[in-house]
Amino acid sequence: MSIRDKLMAFYSALVYAFLYLPIVVVIIFSFNESKTLGRFTGFSLKWYGVLIEDKAIWVAFYNSLNVAVLTTAVSIFLGTLAAYGMVRLDIGGKGTIDSLLYIPIIIPEIAEALSLLLFYKFTGYNLGWLTVLLGHIAFDISFVYVVVRARLAGFDRSLEEASLTLGANEVQTFLKVTLPLSMPGIIAAGLIAFTLSFDDFIKTAFTTGPGFQTLPLIIWSQSARGGVGPELNALTTVIMATSMALAYAYAKLTIERH
Amino acid sequence: MPLMESIIDFVRRYKFLVALLVLGPPLIYLAVYFFAPFLITILYSFGFIGRCGVVTWKLTIKYYQQALKLVYLKVFYNSVVLAGITTIGSLLMAYPVAYFIAVKAPKKWKNALVVSMMIPYWVDFLLRTYALMNIFTMIGIMFTYEAVVLGMIYDYLPFMVLPLYANLEKLDKSLLEASYTLGATPMKTFLKVTLPLSMPGIASGTILVFVPAIGEFIVPSMLGGVSVSTIGILTWDLFLKFHNWWRGAALSILYIAVVLVTLIIYMKKVGELEI
Repeated sequence: MSIRDKLMAFYSALVYAFLYLPIVVVIIFSFNESKTLGRFTGFSLKWYGVLIEDKAIWVAFYNSLNVAVLTTAVSIFLGTLAAYGMVRLDIGGKGTIDSLLYIPIIIPEIAEALSLLLFYKFTGYNLGWLTVLLGHIAFDISFVYVVVRARLAGFDRSLEEASLTLGANEVQTFLKVTLPLSMPGIIAAGLIAFTLSFDDFIKTAFTTGPGFQTLPLIIWSQSARGGVGPELNALTTVIMATSMALAYAYAKLTIERH
Repeated sequence: MPLMESIIDFVRRYKFLVALLVLGPPLIYLAVYFFAPFLITILYSFGFIGRCGVVTWKLTIKYYQQALKLVYLKVFYNSVVLAGITTIGSLLMAYPVAYFIAVKAPKKWKNALVVSMMIPYWVDFLLRTYALMNIFTMIGIMFTYEAVVLGMIYDYLPFMVLPLYANLEKLDKSLLEASYTLGATPMKTFLKVTLPLSMPGIASGTILVFVPAIGEFIVPSMLGGVSVSTIGILTWDLFLKFHNWWRGAALSILYIAVVLVTLIIYMKKVGELEI
């Protein structure tokens, strides 16, 4: 490694530290006995006890997970179809279709959120689980499309041609060559789709009705009322652990595929 | 396998039908749950009142006149400036990291590095901003502009790193070697080879950060308090606090127009957008 490379490694390490420091602080202070911020007065698990008793948080956690998983599955399916169609099929009007698929990324989320609310009011949907889910999918399809398309367009097309020349048919080529090669893109798209849905606060706030709360909604009202507190720190820590387990599963999956 | 054969026969013979089957589902979904809602928003911005079936409507442009007041224009301006600072900040922070992971890091570390970039973003967006509240309170910068800028960069960083990484990962290293062999310095190689080749990655990262950053509501309202006003905060208040849907719709249409104009200028300057 040259000096330049070492500097770059050091810089990257600093950026990673910037990403993790706030989370480490939250974890540490979730075990703080007192409510005082910035001073660790003693180790305690009592805030986790408070959290476990809180039924509203459990329901919201289930709702968030439910919506995120369904959104990821549906938007990966629809987004990958779009990406494959746009990169590999020989059709006219691609420029227009491409612009249509890009628009949901370009339009700011809050503008989309309020238009969905007006749409649901107009068509008479009952606001709740379904309206939240449908809105999340509409947003995530385009992100999956962009990521998977980049991957499909990026790899060497002659691999597919070689497969066809060597006697594999179109379906075999798709399953054995195209799909495995696009897998890193699909996994990255899945990561983004899940995160966008699980994190989503604004679209959920606009499109949910009474009785359907997700974690972001609960956290919004709690942190707005009480500010920074050890119970919310404990909740962050729990979600962090869950997320790390999922991320680890993804990493294992990716490494085994290569 | 007769089934397999008939599928292949179908694929070869009916190219147009295949395209319809592949592109139809995503496009129909977007037509219903994305484009139709925008048409309805446009109706509301012109004073539409009612729902499917029952309609009372008096066409008016008064909501646009209300939305174009000077106070609102100033909020527009503030939002675009904040989003610009966020984009530049996260690009400067993300590029060396993406380059390091894609080009310099040992191959067996790459996955781990990308995954560890994502892990903090598996934590809820609000919780992440809330996590920053802990630190910002401790160092005493809560409710300042600096806190908002840092928070914005923190929250949008992976949307810059991931497209850059995806782009740089495909970078053909023999081009770099060729540049070195032909006598170019590392700096010149970066400026003449790597940077131009990574332009599509920079473009998509910029789009993924800049556009949502303009409308950002959570970060400025949580970390900025009342000191920062953005278009996101304004829209939120009009809809969920004051229930003034018509003025909110007009404002939102203007806002989308601003975004589209910004993008068109950007694409004209940088060239074709390719992600």
